[in-house]
Amino acid sequence: MKASDAMDPNPVTLKPTDTIECAADYIMERRFRSLPVVDENNCYMGMFGVNCLLKQVIPKAVFLPHGLENVDFIHESFEDLYQRFADVKDLPISICLNQEIQPIEPDAPLTKTLLQLYQTRASIPIVEPGSCKLLGVISYWDVGERILAAGKLKNA
Amino acid sequence: MHNLPQADLIFGLSPVWFAGGLFVVTYLLIVTERLNRAIISMMAAALMIMSGVLTQQAAVKGVDFNTIGLLTGMMIIVGITRESGVFQYLAIRSAKLVKADPWGILVMLMLVTALLSALLDNVTTVLLIAPITLLITDTLKINPYPYLFAEIFASNIGGTATLIGDPPNIMIGSATGLGYNDFLFNLAPIAILVLLLTIIPIYLIWGRHLTADPQLISKVMLYREKDAIKDWLLLKKSLFVLTLVMLGFIIGHDYGLQPATVAMFGAALLLTLHVLPFSQEKQSKMVTKSLCDVEWITIFFFIGLFILVYGVETTGLLEMLAHQVIELTDGDKMVTAMSILFVSATASAIVDNIPFVATMIPLIKNMAASFGGAEQLQPIWWSLALGSCLGGNGSLVGASANLIVAGFAERSGQPIRFLPFLLMAFPLMMMSVLVSSIYVYFRYF
Repeated sequence: MKASDAMDPNPVTLKPTDTIECAADYIMERRFRSLPVVDENNCYMGMFGVNCLLKQVIPKAVFLPHGLENVDFIHESFEDLYQRFADVKDLPISICLNQEIQPIEPDAPLTKTLLQLYQTRASIPIVEPGSCKLLGVISYWDVGERILAAGKLKNA
Repeated sequence: MHNLPQADLIFGLSPVWFAGGLFVVTYLLIVTERLNRAIISMMAAALMIMSGVLTQQAAVKGVDFNTIGLLTGMMIIVGITRESGVFQYLAIRSAKLVKADPWGILVMLMLVTALLSALLDNVTTVLLIAPITLLITDTLKINPYPYLFAEIFASNIGGTATLIGDPPNIMIGSATGLGYNDFLFNLAPIAILVLLLTIIPIYLIWGRHLTADPQLISKVMLYREKDAIKDWLLLKKSLFVLTLVMLGFIIGHDYGLQPATVAMFGAALLLTLHVLPFSQEKQSKMVTKSLCDVEWITIFFFIGLFILVYGVETTGLLEMLAHQVIELTDGDKMVTAMSILFVSATASAIVDNIPFVATMIPLIKNMAASFGGAEQLQPIWWSLALGSCLGGNGSLVGASANLIVAGFAERSGQPIRFLPFLLMAFPLMMMSVLVSSIYVYFRYF
């Protein structure tokens, strides 16, 4: 089995020019963890997800190298957190793309793909070899559904 | 000149030319920052031995283990102490003491930075204060630049005040036998004066314009500084050991205790108190972590540099240069002290002050005979300390602390650019050196 056998070939995507607020509404409403971001040529640019949204409401000083290690002394309300979100909500999502998730090729072995899924804990983009064209996405749900379906088929 | 066996010719060059050439090339490589400075100095030290300028035994003799021991010991102590969260506590407490007023916070953070830099070291201090500063300025929605600029100045000025505040002082103290109290009595008064004077232009340039929304100020006032302390027991142990170490520095000199011995004892004691309650396996992990917190790059940079400079010294080159300096200043001690003050300040703004001071120390020692003995050199040592420490404020590359703050600023989206910083900082640094020259003149001449 290959990665392409388990991928969703028509994933929901975001544009790099989408605002953080717009993307947040979409992600929250549909309970996505992360979504691929592609340009006008369907070229994969990175992932945008809930982790980025969370990062926007935590003080920046925490995320600096050698930054604040202890934030126990900061006590904030949801209004305070929203205020921090409001400062960035109109900015494009391109400021917060996760480019650490390595895209994989459609011919990658399924087990290798599952291992990467386990290690990155986020949906993995499948990209055309030699280009950046997004072919699909593999999520926990896609893989889980296929495995359970295989079990049901065997038992039937 | 040392009576050490030396090769007659090295690659066709006399030892003086070879050692001098190696020294200049090493300096240039350090300035370019193309390669890690520890590698450069270790390579230079190895070449000094392999070429025959020094034997290995002579090279080891050239390493100032008092400086190495003091630096390492203090790094271990500070590394453990910072885990308690006490530095964050101090920064937040000081901000709240002035009711989170933006200008008040700037002054308080400057004072805290200067104090911690004097008692610990300025690199650690800015590593701990800069993130809190960015948190506060982010909360108050004000530009962090004036704060970070002020902290750079405060760290270098504070470091000037004591024997352990800045590496040049550690090296000077070790090479001359001048103790903690000598540095405190001779340099702390002028460091305090310079710090207070520096606040004035910072106020005129930025301070008087600093304002913040009262609602945002109330957010800072909601910080609970006590919650910044992660480990009260560790805090007590750390403060106990730090107090002992400071006492050791102050009274140990009279009993022949070198600062390195005091710092190393303090490090060993704090490590013991820190790990004792835990299992052997956990102890090993904790000790490993504490030793990893030591800035080994700095330590190896020092070791290589000491060997390099010792190699140059053994060839007699520094003695020749010392005579030339004395000729240039007509053997006038006051002119020599002032020249060293201004030259070291300018040089330290351009290049790393550690190699500069490492070179100047043997050079100045060679002047002892001309000025009537080692005792007579004190004003020159203070001039070197003031120039090399305060000079670090002259540019962004003048001191390690500056680069660390600039790194924080860059990553927080408020970069400190080299040229704008230079245009503001260099005149301010020269003002501090001018004030220091007046101090040196009236106090020692």
